[in-house]
Amino acid sequence: MKPEDLATKEKNTWCPGCPNFGILQAAKEAIVELNIAEKTAIVTGIGCHAKIYDYLNLKGFYGLHGRVLPIAFGIKLGNPDLTVIGFGGDGDTYAEGMEHFIHSCRYNADLTMMVNNNQVFSLTTGQFTPTTEKGFKGASNPLGVNENPINPLILAMEAGASFVARGYALDIPHLKDLMKKAVTHNGFAFIDILQPCIMYHKHSSAYLNNNVYKIDQSHQASDLNRALAKAREWDYSYEKETKVPVGIFYQTMRPVFQSQWSQLKKPWYKIDRKTNLSNITGEFK
Amino acid sequence: MGSNVTSHLIGKIFCSLGYYVFNYRDYPSLIKGGHNFNVLNISDKPVYSHGHQYDFILALDQKTIDIHRKSLKKGGIIFGAKQTEPVVQKLQGPQILANDVLIGLLCNYFGISLDVVLSAAQKVFGKNELINKAIEEGYSLSETKEKLKKIGKARYFISGNEAIGAGSITAGMDMHLAYPMTPASPVLHFLAKRQLENNVLVFQPENEIAAINMSLGASFAGAKVLVASSGGGFALMTEAVSLAGMAELPVVIYLAQRTAPSTGVPTYTAQSDLKFALNAGHGEFARIVSAPGDPQEAIIRMQEAFYLSCKYRTPAIVLGDKHFGESNYSFDKLDSSRLRAISHPVDRASSYEHNEEGHTVEDAKSVVKGQEKRLKKIPLIAKDVKKLNPVSIFGRGKNLIIGHGSTKGAILDALPELKNFRFLQISYLSPFPKDEVSREIKKSRKTVLIENSATGLLADVIAEQTGLIIRNKVLKYDGRPFVPEDIIKAIKK
Repeated sequence: MKPEDLATKEKNTWCPGCPNFGILQAAKEAIVELNIAEKTAIVTGIGCHAKIYDYLNLKGFYGLHGRVLPIAFGIKLGNPDLTVIGFGGDGDTYAEGMEHFIHSCRYNADLTMMVNNNQVFSLTTGQFTPTTEKGFKGASNPLGVNENPINPLILAMEAGASFVARGYALDIPHLKDLMKKAVTHNGFAFIDILQPCIMYHKHSSAYLNNNVYKIDQSHQASDLNRALAKAREWDYSYEKETKVPVGIFYQTMRPVFQSQWSQLKKPWYKIDRKTNLSNITGEFK
Repeated sequence: MGSNVTSHLIGKIFCSLGYYVFNYRDYPSLIKGGHNFNVLNISDKPVYSHGHQYDFILALDQKTIDIHRKSLKKGGIIFGAKQTEPVVQKLQGPQILANDVLIGLLCNYFGISLDVVLSAAQKVFGKNELINKAIEEGYSLSETKEKLKKIGKARYFISGNEAIGAGSITAGMDMHLAYPMTPASPVLHFLAKRQLENNVLVFQPENEIAAINMSLGASFAGAKVLVASSGGGFALMTEAVSLAGMAELPVVIYLAQRTAPSTGVPTYTAQSDLKFALNAGHGEFARIVSAPGDPQEAIIRMQEAFYLSCKYRTPAIVLGDKHFGESNYSFDKLDSSRLRAISHPVDRASSYEHNEEGHTVEDAKSVVKGQEKRLKKIPLIAKDVKKLNPVSIFGRGKNLIIGHGSTKGAILDALPELKNFRFLQISYLSPFPKDEVSREIKKSRKTVLIENSATGLLADVIAEQTGLIIRNKVLKYDGRPFVPEDIIKAIKK
């Protein structure tokens, strides 16, 4: 199988030059190289990122804004044999769906969550999100953002995610490599993918091209404190030139959600149930 | 604490002797203290409700006696601290032993053998010498005034919520995902406790939004899922109810109503979410809404809900309420439906309008095609529902009482006192059995709606569905369920 084999006939409606194309390409390559297309289901939220549902010829669930993670978690519960990959936006995951993000990190179910983080709402034409930098002025806030952005990497680590990484949509080989490591990680794997919007967050691509660097091999990803320190190097703002690390910040092994549930052995639809009311109601007599 | 366990145990003892029992539970929204009470109705004939006049008061505190003494029938008996306190002191046990003393007192009054009482207690509490002693002491304190014999085979004693759980397992449910909310939580507890022996998965996620979205993910993968909540939690789910309609994913929702709006009166009852259940979720799509009137019916309706939801791949809502869910009813036998729910995994599901491949479409022709494909289910479901006894008629008479859900018990028990009235119970609200309802109303001289609500929602639904207006409404919206005398008084007035 080649990456092109995962394409669909659907017309791509991302803006020409959108970094989402890079994420799409990296995802295709990662899935083909891992040879998991047959048993992979993707879940998307709502927003520009989510159009990937129409462009990947895989099992898929085009869900609701903010609800990628509970749907992905549900698919994993419904069929533990599937490889489940969620794609969310920054507004999607960190605003509308923040509660699911934190709890998914805690649950540590064996699934992957990628956030196409462009630090802005784009499909709704340019409003701020929780990762938009202070001072940003959009259609909904002419007075400017007055808050500091959330650092989703720190949040994920503190909430218990067992794999935390940052990718850059414009470095496809590196992103593909991260995706492969995330998907093969046993537990909840999270990648915040910087995806500079060329329409509503135009200043970010030049900044990121200048400052993004790959985390050095010597970084001890199993050390939570070092991982947190690494994540603090950049605070998602654009005020001054600061280096932006990409790569795996944190990876650890801990029991996955499924390990507590002996029931989660095979897809439920394969279970032939012969239920009998009298077996259940005997206790009421 | 205490009153419910005691009352349930006494009910169970009488059921084991072949008596009919109804157990009503009344408790405020707090953990310890307050005034909790149960009303037990025990009879040698079928009973489905409780009343406001008591033969006995078994009191665990003075407050109970002060509040309920006025409801004691002439010649009625009070057992309370006067009898229990010396025993508790003698045994030097915890205050809660008073419950067991009361059980012994009552059972010996009716000449029930001590062995029967002790073995029933052991089933609930396990082997416990102190409890046995308390029961025995209580037993020795009263005199047998009436010797009650075993009059038949042991009866089932089951609550609405237990029946929702039992019905779901019987229906072939794979998974139950729910966030706690009174009065739906007992279903979560019931299923969680029995998950391993029945090979189902029960999980409490971070909130109701997660619960239903997880359910739809699991449903996508082919699992049959139940979610449950009360009005407030169901309100949070409504976006995903619409998603289930659009993405064509089966899901069964148990909506256990309580006194609303908003947080309302959490541990009390109402039927005021009827129109909410019928309309929740944006857009137009097929849905199944049923309202069982008692636990036996709940078992069957749950099976039907899973069957129809899976067959037509659209959400099914089963309406219950605090009164139905947390009252115990007795039955000679419990039947199940033969319908088997079958679900299957799908490759693509979308919240967007989509074509057969599941890809997003926006052109006018495809939009119409998608809408019509999904809405075509409504008449098909209606045809199936016609065969599932969507309405039931009880009694005879030119006049008609209409109700749905938990009012069934009080109405059935009132009916013998209401000459010329028959009772039409509507069990399916969507698709609505309009022909059946319309026919019954048209051939009646007078029609009265009975509902635990302030505005009479079922009358609005009937007007919308049949064009017929019901003007006579007997409504109750104080959080308390109807008892037969409420209905008899209101109708005879």
